Amino acid sequence: MSDAGYDKQQAGEAGEIARLLSYVLTLLASAGLFVSANAIPISRFEQLGAGAFPKIVFAGIALVALIAIVEALRKIPAGAYGRFARQTLAWAGRRYLVFVTLGALAVYLVLIPVLGFSIASFLFILGLELVLMPRRAATLLVAVIVAAVFSFGLNWLFAEGFTVFLPRGVF
Amino acid sequence: MDSFLSGLVQIFTLATLIYMFAGSIAGIIAAAIPGFTVTMAIVLTLPLTFTMEPLQGIAVMLSVYVGGYTGGLISAALLGIPGTPSSVATTFDAFPMARRGEPGRALSLGIWASFFGTVISTLVLIVAAPPLAMFAVKLGPWEYFSLIVFALTIVASLVGDSVIRGMLAGLIGLGISTVGTDPIMGRPRFDFGIEMLQAGLPFLVVLIGIFAISQLTSEVEDPKSVRSGNALVTGAIDFQTWQVMKEVLMRPVNLIRSSVVGVLIGALPGAGGSIANLVAYDQAKRNSKDPESFGKGNPDGVVASEAGNSATAGGGLIPLIGLGIPGSAVDAILMAALMVHGISVGPRLIMDHADLVYGMFIAMAVASLMMLIVSVLSMRLFLRVAEVPKWLIVPVVMVCCVVGSFALNNRVSDLYLLGFVGVAGYTLRALGYSLAPLVLGVILGPIAETNLRRALMTDADPTLFLTRPVSLIFLMLAVISIAWAIRGHLKHRKPSGRSTDASAS
Repeated sequence: MSDAGYDKQQAGEAGEIARLLSYVLTLLASAGLFVSANAIPISRFEQLGAGAFPKIVFAGIALVALIAIVEALRKIPAGAYGRFARQTLAWAGRRYLVFVTLGALAVYLVLIPVLGFSIASFLFILGLELVLMPRRAATLLVAVIVAAVFSFGLNWLFAEGFTVFLPRGVF
Repeated sequence: MDSFLSGLVQIFTLATLIYMFAGSIAGIIAAAIPGFTVTMAIVLTLPLTFTMEPLQGIAVMLSVYVGGYTGGLISAALLGIPGTPSSVATTFDAFPMARRGEPGRALSLGIWASFFGTVISTLVLIVAAPPLAMFAVKLGPWEYFSLIVFALTIVASLVGDSVIRGMLAGLIGLGISTVGTDPIMGRPRFDFGIEMLQAGLPFLVVLIGIFAISQLTSEVEDPKSVRSGNALVTGAIDFQTWQVMKEVLMRPVNLIRSSVVGVLIGALPGAGGSIANLVAYDQAKRNSKDPESFGKGNPDGVVASEAGNSATAGGGLIPLIGLGIPGSAVDAILMAALMVHGISVGPRLIMDHADLVYGMFIAMAVASLMMLIVSVLSMRLFLRVAEVPKWLIVPVVMVCCVVGSFALNNRVSDLYLLGFVGVAGYTLRALGYSLAPLVLGVILGPIAETNLRRALMTDADPTLFLTRPVSLIFLMLAVISIAWAIRGHLKHRKPSGRSTDASAS
């Protein structure tokens, strides 16, 4: 979480807090999965049941996460927690294209079964290209051609060449 | 000798050579598309070989196989996305090398290493197929489990900046591998009533999401760089064919060691290129005088990974030819292709169809040469990828990832999983987790669990892991490997002091 023009130390501390949160989440998830592994029935035909290996793994995750939490808590100064929300927002602001891209991907994946692969892919590629491309008229034509080739063209190639039929949609 | 000449004559017909050439091109292109594996390419080739002579059909499939192992390096080097699981380690050094302005050299290194790896493995195959096959089949679940424990210690050298986060990522990978039906008794685990999770998380979708989606997303972090129309890879696009060939040959120890690792791992049923490239990379790094430069574009890393994964092609044929046991999914398809032609694969194969077996050896050598020719001739075309600006390549490759994920099982739910894993992968990347140990955990988890439980089902005595000599050797190697890694980290820490670990992205 550090970029030019920002306080690197404060961004680093915020990064460490974000990692601390990830360790805590990992610890909670592994503890929960460890408990649910206990509920997996044990077969009388084998010494280790279906839940034994997961329990070993999740106990290991919990142990390492705990060590990571202790190490992270030692690194983070007390004042850093108060600045965390502001630093995180600033980080997210600097990387707004990441969120746009992931959002577009999510919408695209949801639309594939509805619109079909070709139309959804055409809209996704063209839409994302329009967001990411330099603002020049010449690039627009390239963007449209590429979107058409990698949506309708790819669908045709897979259907005719490999007999793999991509989702056709409800229309 | 008659059988050898018969095999030679069958391979060196114009029709067979043309088919093999087409197979090489198909394999390279297929593996270059993220998510489209060598296995998928071979499955699609199988129906085309039904009308061919048995050896002709097998030769075409071997060309796709050898070409596919090389094709994976194209997207690994240029996009930082492993085209196949067997090229995961290739991304570690080939991608940084391409990024710092040497995309041609990165590709050329990988191609030559693949070529020599395949040639070395073919030589080993000819000499050692019967005795190695006998050794591999004698290994029980104790030895396999110990081997996987040894392989897991590789995580120690893939952890990146932080040992703790690397270990956590490896363990999370093992945890992911436990989702779905358990491999021994078929009991449901951690599916939470979701149908998609009942069969376990499809490995390929996880791989594409973790590596490809997170890598592509991180490409658009800097709006200025994207909007200026910058290409993904910049610098001189010079393939440097002969110069790089000499460069690869100047690393004989690394080349031979990595190829031998590939052959040995390929010969073990259940293992394969996906493990061989990581083990070979790890060995190269440990034995290097300059291990710090690994992961930053060290040519030894590219050579090790590509020689290692390509050598498994020959190694995998050892148990197939010697005993009729397929070492990987691809070998199983090759076996199916032989069975379609009424040839039973087993210990008598080399006695009953010696011409076919020798023909396969020759086909391997010819396929590697064809792969080299196709690569050298077409690589300039592939290098055009490097000139494509980010704003074009990011959405297009994302769509290719979607196609690869869907085509695997024809399930729309896999696409949702892809999106979810992609977001998780980017989050982990942004938080400074190393993603390679996670993938290693996902690959090795089921093999480790199956063999641990199988061993204890066969005999409840756990001391057998220590009293069986081969198992003990693997466990001792694991201990040595961990000690070596700890020594390396302590050594690294001393001069640089405490890592501040400030940046999360």
